[in-house]
Amino acid sequence: MPAVIPEKTSLSSFLRGFLNSYSQVFFSNSKIFAIILIIVSFLDFHTGLSGLIAVLVSNAAALGIGFNRRNIANGYYGFNSLLAGLGIGVMYQSGPAFFTILFFASLLTLFLTATMEGVIGKYGLPYLSVPFLLGIWLVTLAARQFASLQINESGIYQMNELYAWGGQSLVDVYNWFNTLPLPESLRLYFRSLGAIFFQYHLFGGILVAIGLIIYSRIAFLLSLTGFFSAWFYYHFIGANITELSYGYIGFNFILTAIAVGGYFIIPSRWSFLWVILLTPLISILLTSSYTVFALFQLSVFSLPFNLIVLIFLYALKFRERFLTTPELVSYQQHSPEKNLYSHNNYKIRFGKVFFLPLALPFSGRWKVTQGHQGAYTHTGEWQYAWDFEVTDEDDATFSGSGERPEDFYGYNKPVLAPEAGWVEEILDEYDDNQIGKMDLEHNWGNTLIIRHNDQLYSKLSHLKKGSFKVVTGERVSKGQHVANCGNSGRSPAPHLHFQLQPTPHIGSKTIEYPVSHFILHEKDRFSLRSYEVPVEGMQVSNIRHNSTLQKAFHFIPGQVLRYQVKCDNAEPAEVSWEVQVDAYNNTCIWCQKSRSKAWFRNDGDLHYFTHFEGDRASLLYRFFLGAYKVLLGHYRNLVVTDNYPVHTFNKPLLIFLQDLVAPFFLFTRSTFRLHYLELEDELMQTGFRLKSETTLSIGKRVTKRLETEWQIGTSGIESFRVLDEGKTIEATLIES
Amino acid sequence: MSKLRYERPVIKKLEGGMPNKFGIRSEIQTVTHIDGNGVKDLIKEYGSPLFVISEKTIRSTIKKARKAFEARYPRIQFAWSYKTNYLNAVCSIFHQEGSWAEVVSGFEYDKAIALGVNGKKIIFNGPEKKEEDLSKAIQNDSLIHIDHLDEFYTIVELAGVLGKKPRVAVRVNMDTGVYPMWDRFGFNYENGQAWDVINKIMHSGKAELVGLHCHIGTFMLAPSAYAIAATKLADLALAIERKYNHEIKYIDLGGGFPSKNTLKGAYLPGTDTNPTFDDFAEAISSALLNSNFKKDNLPLLILETGRALIDEAGFLLGSVIANKRSSTGRRNTIIDIGVNLLFTSYWYDHKITPAQSFTHYTEETCVYGPLCMNIDVIRESAELPLLNRGDHVVIHNTGAYNLTQWMQFIALRPNVLLIDMDEKPHLIRQKETVDNMNGMERVPEHLK
Repeated sequence: MPAVIPEKTSLSSFLRGFLNSYSQVFFSNSKIFAIILIIVSFLDFHTGLSGLIAVLVSNAAALGIGFNRRNIANGYYGFNSLLAGLGIGVMYQSGPAFFTILFFASLLTLFLTATMEGVIGKYGLPYLSVPFLLGIWLVTLAARQFASLQINESGIYQMNELYAWGGQSLVDVYNWFNTLPLPESLRLYFRSLGAIFFQYHLFGGILVAIGLIIYSRIAFLLSLTGFFSAWFYYHFIGANITELSYGYIGFNFILTAIAVGGYFIIPSRWSFLWVILLTPLISILLTSSYTVFALFQLSVFSLPFNLIVLIFLYALKFRERFLTTPELVSYQQHSPEKNLYSHNNYKIRFGKVFFLPLALPFSGRWKVTQGHQGAYTHTGEWQYAWDFEVTDEDDATFSGSGERPEDFYGYNKPVLAPEAGWVEEILDEYDDNQIGKMDLEHNWGNTLIIRHNDQLYSKLSHLKKGSFKVVTGERVSKGQHVANCGNSGRSPAPHLHFQLQPTPHIGSKTIEYPVSHFILHEKDRFSLRSYEVPVEGMQVSNIRHNSTLQKAFHFIPGQVLRYQVKCDNAEPAEVSWEVQVDAYNNTCIWCQKSRSKAWFRNDGDLHYFTHFEGDRASLLYRFFLGAYKVLLGHYRNLVVTDNYPVHTFNKPLLIFLQDLVAPFFLFTRSTFRLHYLELEDELMQTGFRLKSETTLSIGKRVTKRLETEWQIGTSGIESFRVLDEGKTIEATLIES
Repeated sequence: MSKLRYERPVIKKLEGGMPNKFGIRSEIQTVTHIDGNGVKDLIKEYGSPLFVISEKTIRSTIKKARKAFEARYPRIQFAWSYKTNYLNAVCSIFHQEGSWAEVVSGFEYDKAIALGVNGKKIIFNGPEKKEEDLSKAIQNDSLIHIDHLDEFYTIVELAGVLGKKPRVAVRVNMDTGVYPMWDRFGFNYENGQAWDVINKIMHSGKAELVGLHCHIGTFMLAPSAYAIAATKLADLALAIERKYNHEIKYIDLGGGFPSKNTLKGAYLPGTDTNPTFDDFAEAISSALLNSNFKKDNLPLLILETGRALIDEAGFLLGSVIANKRSSTGRRNTIIDIGVNLLFTSYWYDHKITPAQSFTHYTEETCVYGPLCMNIDVIRESAELPLLNRGDHVVIHNTGAYNLTQWMQFIALRPNVLLIDMDEKPHLIRQKETVDNMNGMERVPEHLK
């Protein structure tokens, strides 16, 4: 199957695994950050080398044993061994025995990693650096018996080492950093950062801080929040401040802050609050564990961080309420910013897709004459129900005298199944009432109940006697004609009562449930509403699909789209995209040349792009922006709107500033608008003209704009023209 | 209190409220206003007789028709039948309401184009399409409904000359169980003529077969006949798809829906017995939805409904010229509306209402037109109150066919008014003058 994305086995993926093993220590997969961290680790050559060997051994062994390649490439099997390697490198002197121990210590840490993945992972928790702790403790305890291992003394003669490594100039740089006029707290902060890589000096710490800013502004902000809440807490409580500086163990506060504040939890003011609230707990764990481990002459390293994060995340799983304060990250993107922007955007766009996609139970345009919590009968246990009637342009529900049911527009019109299911019950006994009279004895009149699943039933009432097209137990498909609208039961005039309920009984209580997609009609204007409850007074209809639009946006895995591209005065070039699907049935359009992927989904009513990976200078990126959300039905002058995650379409400096305050508020907005302009040939369904606008705005001011004009016909998306910052790109379909 | 009108005394047999064998006796009501405009005032300003068309009624009727179908079938398109009423103002209202144009001659075709209708939205029907008309239709990508093989050959020839692939549909006639069966237009379904022409079109490769069309009759009172027609056309479309892997874009079921007029000889009044849009929509939609079309790929359903959409919007206003008695003593009333204006009085017992107050006495009356011709009878027998010379009458349901089939016979044709949505009258066709008539004539020199 060529369309399935192959798992990479190349050298580049091994290199990726190597780099990620470094950045994973800070939960990142940034390559720049990884390189900075490697440099920092090599500030002490022996330590750096030791860490590097540990990563290589661990990753190679993981590959040889046959662990999951994606996990290896993400650095999941490397970062614990890296930390163990660095720790051992700091402690012991070089030599054949050292490297032997290092090799097996790495192997041990790898096995511990796999074990912890199994043990801790089954609770749905991350194993963090627990394998490193176990590994280094075991090795330290055992090494006391290994006579050939020498305690490393390099830390003591650091200047000598630096001189030997980089000459006088390096020593000068080092000294300059150490004499920087920084407040004590900030010094300690930087040193604590460096300590994560066993580098207890300012220079290393500053480098790590720069890397952290490059990787994530929110993570950087969190590291400050974590550290300084500890600083102030220790001062306030009068605790032993040397605890922080001793071995620079203060990094526990920093790592906890990043993990809890933005990595495992969506960054928000709640997550920041928890970072502050957890500080005293970490300090308790720090002191107590220090007391216990001192008995064995072992350092506690990152134990408090591991314990507090695991305990906290585990505790959050027991919540029954306030599930969004703070909210756990469900799809990890290795960046607090991406987690935040994508999550919030996803929640708005797809937060309700788990609802069964209900359609309206009729064809054509009807009015909601009584909505949820209606004034007449939709109260108490039956509050979540709708009454629908057909009205004319004067809002009348009938023509003629209105004395007979037949005078009413809605009367005897087909009633459709809102979603596939089984006919649970049919009541087909009562004659239509005279207009104005009600049959209070048989409240619901002739009724049909459809079972969609064991918790969801839909009920359609006041139907016309003898109009049922189905029988009890029959399977019905979505949109199937099941009966006709009537005037039976408690119904003074013909109307259709529709409700969702959790039990199959007639008279069951109702539940609130949205309609998946529908069109709202206002005079001659149309608008699309998704996963909403139609409210009283709305004129609504189901989406009338358009087969040409459906076909154009029906991307089939394996399908190749080739476009001829002309950019301003440049020579025409050709791009070729392939539609692919991964093992989890996620679909994307893949551009080999720019190594980019635009992920999409299609629910039959709408085509959506969900996210983009790769080169933002590529045509595919613009295609992604321009066709972000497309309704697969044609309504003249309809406008479809949506929002992008703000990092998807932004400006470099602006997004930097936005990142810094993003957990608290957003001042930039990236919006999408798609206009349905015209249909040149209605009969042949060709010549659709659509125009989309992508804008970035601060408040009401638009600061960046991209426009795309689409021409869609029977052969698909025939051409599109992108206007991007004064540049015009024209793409014409060659093959689809 | 104003002075009561004088009416001559009459002797009349007592009739109870029970129905007689001709149906339920309906109370005659006075209609003094049309959409807020007094009949008396209109006649005073625009003369008598006078055609009045109500825009409100047109729009509400087409909306009602659309509603009936849209609630049942997702893809519906009306095409305004020009021959029913091709006054530009009327056509424009229908086009504004989204209707396409259905024309049956070069003249009507040109009229539609002049009104700005997109060529792709013109359906060209009828047995006579001249070469130059066909050329225009081909150039404009109009939908040409082929009536006979000779026409098909002409189209193929023109397609070659013009280098275009015309969009064509086949007009099919069939047995739908109604009498008389219309078989003079198009190709027969049952005897294989339809397949013959379809095969010819598909094999020629010169024309694009986009639709199938039938028109089973006129003033049809049986919705079930449409269900049969829809089923047969659906089967044919699906068979074409199977055989040629070619998708038929639309099914056109023509016109033929009745208005609320009462046919001559009908036992009960049309308002009570004629099927509604809902009845037809139910029959047609069910037939199409129950056919084997894929749910997401249903063909467009086109309807060329004319009469049912416009008849009720037309009123003919006139005045009483004289009263007299026939030799048998029957009351005869002569009005200034003749069959030259009200062609449809040959078909229907038009509803006539007085435009001023009257007493409750009615008498069986024969209503004659003003023409000096024996056949000029508007109603042979109508229960009418007693009308005096100069009184006004309103004849209802006259919107269809009269304004296209009226003739300049003996008298000139009168003004036509449109009353808009704000109840403001507009003159949409001026009354003819002698100069109009003479202007077209040429008298040879030797006769001058």
